[in-house]
Amino acid sequence: MLSSGLTLIFGMMGILNFAHASFFMIGAYLGYQISYFTNFWIALMLAPVLVGYFGVIIERYGLRNIHKYGHIAELLFTFGLFYIIEEMVQLIWGKTPVPYKVPEILNFPLIEISGLSYPAYSLFRLVLSILIFVAIYRVLAKTKTGLIIKASLTNPNMVAALGHNVPKVFGNVFGFGCGLAGLAGVLAGNVIGTEPSMALLLGPIVFVVVVTGGLGSIKGALVASIIIGLMQTLAVALEVDFNSFLNLLGFEVDKDTTLNYFTSLTISQLSPIVPYLLLILVLIARPRGLFGKRDV
Amino acid sequence: MKTLIIIFNIIFCLIFISACEKKETTGPIKIAAIEPLSGPYAAVGKDIIDFAQYSADIINENGGINGRMIEIVPMDNAMKAEKTTELLRKAIDENIRFITQGGGSSHALNIIKQLEKYNARNPGKEVLFLNHSAVTTSFTNEECTFFHFRFDANVDMKVAGLVSHMSKDSSIKKVYLFNQNYVYGQTFKDTATRMIKNKAPNIEIVGDELIQPFGKVQDFNPYITKIKLSGADTVLTGNWGPDAYRFVNALKDAGVKVKLFGIYISQPAGMAAMEKNLLFNDVIVVKEFNPTNPDAPEWYKNYEKGQVEKMGLTPDADRFRFMFEMFKNAIEITNSFEPKDIAYALEGMEGRSIDGGKIKMRKDDHQIHFDMQALLLTEKRDQSIIYRNEDFDMSYVTVGNIPMEDITLDTSCKMKRP
Repeated sequence: MLSSGLTLIFGMMGILNFAHASFFMIGAYLGYQISYFTNFWIALMLAPVLVGYFGVIIERYGLRNIHKYGHIAELLFTFGLFYIIEEMVQLIWGKTPVPYKVPEILNFPLIEISGLSYPAYSLFRLVLSILIFVAIYRVLAKTKTGLIIKASLTNPNMVAALGHNVPKVFGNVFGFGCGLAGLAGVLAGNVIGTEPSMALLLGPIVFVVVVTGGLGSIKGALVASIIIGLMQTLAVALEVDFNSFLNLLGFEVDKDTTLNYFTSLTISQLSPIVPYLLLILVLIARPRGLFGKRDV
Repeated sequence: MKTLIIIFNIIFCLIFISACEKKETTGPIKIAAIEPLSGPYAAVGKDIIDFAQYSADIINENGGINGRMIEIVPMDNAMKAEKTTELLRKAIDENIRFITQGGGSSHALNIIKQLEKYNARNPGKEVLFLNHSAVTTSFTNEECTFFHFRFDANVDMKVAGLVSHMSKDSSIKKVYLFNQNYVYGQTFKDTATRMIKNKAPNIEIVGDELIQPFGKVQDFNPYITKIKLSGADTVLTGNWGPDAYRFVNALKDAGVKVKLFGIYISQPAGMAAMEKNLLFNDVIVVKEFNPTNPDAPEWYKNYEKGQVEKMGLTPDADRFRFMFEMFKNAIEITNSFEPKDIAYALEGMEGRSIDGGKIKMRKDDHQIHFDMQALLLTEKRDQSIIYRNEDFDMSYVTVGNIPMEDITLDTSCKMKRP
């Protein structure tokens, strides 16, 4: 979901938003704060809207003025924004994780697969994410709004000539993208822990998903995130190291050499680099990503 | 023009005199505390500064050391090792003769290396390093130096303590090692593997995982599936920070029952992210004391109460207290504020423990040795753990004593003394 928000912004508007994961973080913190005062369900509805409006304001008074200076300026702006948001979050909520909890009503094991239980909350997140994916996809592909959005990205002058307010469309798309990040934050913050460094840790992987899936493709983002998730899980499960490969080929690596340091690495230990490996492979073989319509 | 020159001269003289006065032995004893106070590790750094500050305050309230007060000078390294080097230089320039640090072994190593050179080149101006928590074993083995003192048990000792307690628990048959893939986690893993083989041969190691450290792993489910499939009844882990609390939460969500043995699982800075999930599995950690001991003597209870009132923190470590007490003793014994004299006095010195156990600074390698305790985290008993004024309604219960002898290990240190 975080990725589909970024796809909207990055892929469709062509803005490299470094601070995207920061909106995710704000979503998580607002989710915590609102559910602290009221309950989780109100937070779930209110927090993404607030994050979305925050995004609109950022776009209106920040990015829109900078847009004419090109990509580098935008990049630097969002880069700075990332740090400012991180520091602001630390000022308001402190530097330690906040106790953001899964709502009681969903906090029970739902099904059990081979001895491992699957919490109801995870399923709830899954269903909600799929619903939102489908909704965005339909809006973009089937409705007039989707048509105007796509048109104002490819032929802004023409759309403006037809009487639509193109900058406003841009602002709303940016805000909506941020809102999606905020929603993802509300849903994920209580599982992975809500703390000031969560944006920093999540940022890179989101870009991988977007680029692998293809710029501007919601479907691509969905497929790419599933592929990456599966590959990483699979990699963790493989306890094979390179030594056993070499042994199969008839080589034997001395246990005390530096070479052994590398060859004794298991695939499981290398699982964190799997997404980036995939990114490079995709960029080499198909620079536009899995479902992208134009090159990066 | 002339008057101007005279005025400048006067100002210059005044500055010179005041600069000279600084070197006198009457002002506060400055101790630079170089810790992360910004960035992702800021919470840990802030706790350290508060612990140190409180311990120093207590000494100051009781008249200081030979009439001089301790002044903690916090310095922010943002968890960047090169910044630590820079700040150390700054501290030396400001005439600070004592450094304390502990958050991160890479930083401690920088300080040790730099001070080794500086102290050799500047006799009479030496700087003393009081290491309160950087636990990489080599600092008191091959890297040992005279001006470094470690007041915390090193990784090997802590793992020895954990294994020693595990060997007494007959329900533990299969253990899974789960650690972070960097120097500390690797040391933890190697030591654990070796010690389980030697000291607890009836325990089988059924799995061994090194994960990408520092919060990079978001989803622990694949690892938990592996642990479940391995049939492990116990997980031995050195993880800390998000790598620890996400793991604990994920175990609870997946409903996997194991015993969790570790050092930093219940770090107070991460407790808010886990809360009662910590109690789903038995969490057993080793520490130099029990932070919520109902039988602690009166003087310690007052000390603890004071810290909760002043800083909003239950002491998570006792070592700040005895570190400053031993520092004070060393000055009072030698009646000197020179780091060299203090260092000689600290060698072999014994500290005051809470429950009559032993605390001793080993002379050979400047590594502290103390009795440790295995603690089980439970629902609130008499006293609960408070962190930043928030009450977690949990307590530690001592489930085993690990005598000093069990964790006393040989050292390869060959120290050169000035």
